[in-house]
Amino acid sequence: MKPFGRFPSSRGSAARTSRWVYVAVTAVLAVVVAIWAIPDLGGGYFGYAAAAPGSTPPMPDLSPDLFLFPVSAQIVLLTVGVGLLVQIYSTAYLGHHPRYRSYALIIILFLVAMIAVVGTTNLWVLLVGWEVMGLCSYLLIGHEWETAEARAGAAKAFLMTRIADLGLVIAILVIGQAYGTYDLLGAELAASDGGPRSSTAIGLLVLVAVVGKSAQFPLHTWLPDAMPGPTPITALIHAATMVAAGVYLAARMLPFYRESEVVLVALAVIAGITMLMGALFALVQADLKRALAWSTVSQLALMFSAIAAGDPGAGTDHLLAHGVFKALLFLGCGCIMHAVGSSALSAMGGLRKAMPVTFVSMTIGFGALAGLVPTVGFFTKDSVLAALEHAAQGDAELPAAVGQVLFYTALATTFVTAAYAARLWLTTFFGPDSSSPVEHVEAEAPRAMLLPVVVLAVATFALSVGQPVHLGFGLLSTAVAVFAGGVVVYAWRNRGELDIDAPRLSRELDLDEPYSRWIPAITRSASRLVVAVDRDGVDAYPAGGAAGAQLGSRLLGVLQSRNVQRYATVMAVGVIAIVAAGVIWT
Amino acid sequence: MPLLYPLVLAAALFGIGVYGVLARRNAVLMLLGVELMLNAVNLNLVAFDAWHGDELHTGQVLTLFTIALAAAEIGLGLAIILTLFRAVRTIDVDKVGAE
Repeated sequence: MKPFGRFPSSRGSAARTSRWVYVAVTAVLAVVVAIWAIPDLGGGYFGYAAAAPGSTPPMPDLSPDLFLFPVSAQIVLLTVGVGLLVQIYSTAYLGHHPRYRSYALIIILFLVAMIAVVGTTNLWVLLVGWEVMGLCSYLLIGHEWETAEARAGAAKAFLMTRIADLGLVIAILVIGQAYGTYDLLGAELAASDGGPRSSTAIGLLVLVAVVGKSAQFPLHTWLPDAMPGPTPITALIHAATMVAAGVYLAARMLPFYRESEVVLVALAVIAGITMLMGALFALVQADLKRALAWSTVSQLALMFSAIAAGDPGAGTDHLLAHGVFKALLFLGCGCIMHAVGSSALSAMGGLRKAMPVTFVSMTIGFGALAGLVPTVGFFTKDSVLAALEHAAQGDAELPAAVGQVLFYTALATTFVTAAYAARLWLTTFFGPDSSSPVEHVEAEAPRAMLLPVVVLAVATFALSVGQPVHLGFGLLSTAVAVFAGGVVVYAWRNRGELDIDAPRLSRELDLDEPYSRWIPAITRSASRLVVAVDRDGVDAYPAGGAAGAQLGSRLLGVLQSRNVQRYATVMAVGVIAIVAAGVIWT
Repeated sequence: MPLLYPLVLAAALFGIGVYGVLARRNAVLMLLGVELMLNAVNLNLVAFDAWHGDELHTGQVLTLFTIALAAAEIGLGLAIILTLFRAVRTIDVDKVGAE
């Protein structure tokens, strides 16, 4: 796989026990969070306010102000659950890596940061958690920093999310100014009592923040470029942390901006563009991991569309479901990469016999992605569709026309999603056995990797329990998905391969150009301009001063001839001149 | 005798003396220029003394002082020039300064 960084561990069992230490720490964290969060799962919101809002915002403080809503409780449980599974998985996947310790510790920090974002009502603590997550994702994406792509991907993720984070900082300041408090609950109370204030400004700023964090159009290109990171990290970022924080924040801040049509329309447009675009990009990828990354982008947009339609509950439900099945898919992808040694689809095919457990688990994952009954993806996707239909009827703050367009976009996305899920599933696990390069695959992945995958596969079913059923949308989306799957299977039967020849789509519509080419080019030419101004403009003054001083000293040096008679002559002439002047002007 | 004549003569002498000091390269002739200037001043002192009609003749007394001073100065100057000549075998001030 990678030429560097794969050193066999010489410490043997000692290294193995130390690896499980990190798993134990994560498990303790998970248990603590579970004890804390589970009682809040069914709880309601009783108008608790940590601080009464004043007329001027108080000084920013960093008191934790932990408080969980039912939704937050679900998300922290998802976070620590996926985090624990990723940690277990990593012992086998990355256990021999020389930098395993820092890797495992950063995962724990990542989880703590996510818990801080979700579990606090203090906006500054939320901001700190938000920024720490950005840092952790930078460090983890760049874990294999020996390779240039990993470095580039990490830097890109860091820069893009960091620029977007400015939106959150300013949004927090605006909330403080508008509501007189930096406490989320207090501000929400004030918003519900006295009506929202500055809602467009707050909404647009929050939008900037979440667009960056959750890799939505037009800041979407960092997420697929983050693929050089280790696969468990990809699972963590895509499922439990980082991108999930964006959706959480958008849902959490909805009370502040739900009155503002501008913000909702902007969110809906971004979500609509992103969901279809991400799904189409996922359809044409030649790399399993990258296709799954685009799939995440598209699915996140689906959650945002539910939030724009005024139903954040549907959005966060789909976030949970997506977290589970996308973690499953990425971890399964890691199993395949572990066996095949590459994430390219061309290196796979016919893996269903060699890797039966991975096959079954990932089939469930792909089924959930496509929204097939009875996986959790079916229920939550239908909730989103129901919310969009609701908005299309004009029952939400979103304009009905936008809601309608969004609903049909989501249906089209459902179609494309089912198509790419079927394509990835077929090319990975079916296909010709004889000609495939999988002959030498060392069968199934180790048990420490299979366990999390199986747990997640079970969870994909288990979470379906108690989900609301929208029969009409269920039938509609299932019909669309089955039709899409049928088209793909039919194409596969006829042509025997599923490579889609769409060069422009494969290049992802060149949407990365502004970031990868234009901005560097502009920066470079601007730097050149600055250098030129500095060298030829600013430096002219000191250089000119120096030249002037040199010239002056040379002229004065001529006078200092060491010839006393000449000095005396000058003095005589001077005396004569002064006397003459005195005589003439008096 | 009008005052103008001795004053013009004194000015001419002073001018020649200045020229000698500034332009001549021979140390003895420079010294001679200095003497000319001193004597031009003496002439002025005497002329103004006579014109002023001072009972104590302070101008003429001062002239005597100046003559004594000039004698001492020329003695000292010639001694320096002699020593200079012994040291560097020349009394051309440009060449002396160049070494």
